Amino acid sequence: MGMEEKVLVVDQQKCTGCRQCELVCSVYHTGSSNPSRSRIKVFKWEHAGIYLPLICNHCEKAYCLEVCPTKACHREPELNNRVVIDKNLCIGCKTCIMACPFDHPFFDVKERVTVKCDLCDGDPQCVAFCYAKAIFFVDADNIQMSKKREAANKFLESMKQIR
Amino acid sequence: MRAEPIRPIRTMRYLRPQEHWGWIIAIYLYLAGMGAGSYIIGTVIDWFVHPSRVVTLWGQPLDSAKAALLWGPILVAIGAPFLILDLGIKKRFLYACLNPRTSWVARGFIILSTFIIFGLVLFTKSVLSLEWFHAESGLWHILEVIALAFAFGTALYTGILLKATKSIPLWNTYLLPLLFLVSALSTGSMAVILSTLGSGLFSHDTAVLKVLMVGEQILVVIEGVVLYLYLLGRHRVSEQGKDSVRLLLFGEKKFIFWGGIVLLGFIFPFVLEGIAAFSDGNVLLIFSSGLILLCGGLFLRFGVLSAGIKERIPMQRWTEFQYHLRGMK
Repeated sequence: MGMEEKVLVVDQQKCTGCRQCELVCSVYHTGSSNPSRSRIKVFKWEHAGIYLPLICNHCEKAYCLEVCPTKACHREPELNNRVVIDKNLCIGCKTCIMACPFDHPFFDVKERVTVKCDLCDGDPQCVAFCYAKAIFFVDADNIQMSKKREAANKFLESMKQIR
Repeated sequence: MRAEPIRPIRTMRYLRPQEHWGWIIAIYLYLAGMGAGSYIIGTVIDWFVHPSRVVTLWGQPLDSAKAALLWGPILVAIGAPFLILDLGIKKRFLYACLNPRTSWVARGFIILSTFIIFGLVLFTKSVLSLEWFHAESGLWHILEVIALAFAFGTALYTGILLKATKSIPLWNTYLLPLLFLVSALSTGSMAVILSTLGSGLFSHDTAVLKVLMVGEQILVVIEGVVLYLYLLGRHRVSEQGKDSVRLLLFGEKKFIFWGGIVLLGFIFPFVLEGIAAFSDGNVLLIFSSGLILLCGGLFLRFGVLSAGIKERIPMQRWTEFQYHLRGMK
């Protein structure tokens, strides 16, 4: 990854489950305020108070890209190394949905093609409108160290609780 | 008062089986497998027995024996549109062959298309037996071998397509293509038995029919063993593999497994074929067992498809971990 590449990062503990990100994503990409057509999905465990926004990770080894029979799913190294789907090539076979371990690409029932996060061409709307600041758009290189440190701290805290 | 769920996190939608590929894809895989299997069995019989039975239809001599043995590509050709039917934008179906380098859907498109074309050409040549076809030419034998190889490819591909989905543990095993290959041969040989019975091909030569029936029973037993090993392996491989097998055996898919796969696919046909063997090849019994076995083959594909649960992602494991920590406080 180059220095200029940026990635989406979620702080799950800050998410309140308001689903504002789904709404703005849908408006930005489809023009309609229909969360079922958004490119981000918030998984909720209401009784446990846990909310988990699931975003595309634009994986280095992207299964969606491998399994796409039409090459509609492709990588754009010049734009944050993002993995995007060309709507004009997609046939809606749903193979990428099956292949993604993060359950990310979604089938748009209106357009009859598979859609996925395209980082809003460098200005992610989910980040801009998240009032809880649970989603960040940060330099890929910076996040690695802080992510590792954060995970280590969380693990330490959890181990203390178990004891 | 509602009872507290024992494992509330695990009951959420994330651990639900996939719902994107359903009956339409199951029919596609089934017809492709059965067509390829029947072509393999039919070609082997054609090579070793050389049956011929010329009938005249609209003044044209037709070899009904070849038609009964080599009709597999027609089944595959009927099954292929089911894949198109499942596409979001059907008119773009030709795009599906653009990425054979990495995509098994694209490779399958090419394998199936080649098999359908070669198979139909050979079917036409064998049934019509026109002089200008030069039926004895060595080129036809080469084409037969190529078509046979593509028939094996088609039967294996139906399993490989699912195996290529690495995130679903139930499908990600080499035993799945093997299971679908054996099932393709089993349903295919039954399709050949039914078509030869329907055309009265071996009515004078019951020895061939008996060999076919014994072969069919052996294939059913092998299929049962492979299915057992497959489910055992998947149950042990990971938590979601275990979830999938449980869903299929004891969960909401149990009627598909016990009723559709075990009863229709194995027990009924095996018992009926055994009775038919003792009652001197009762045609009605063979027909019933054949049709029941063919239904079982379809349920096998649908059962495997509908029980596929995705592997949990690290975030989900983390969420579950957090939830249990809260319970400990």
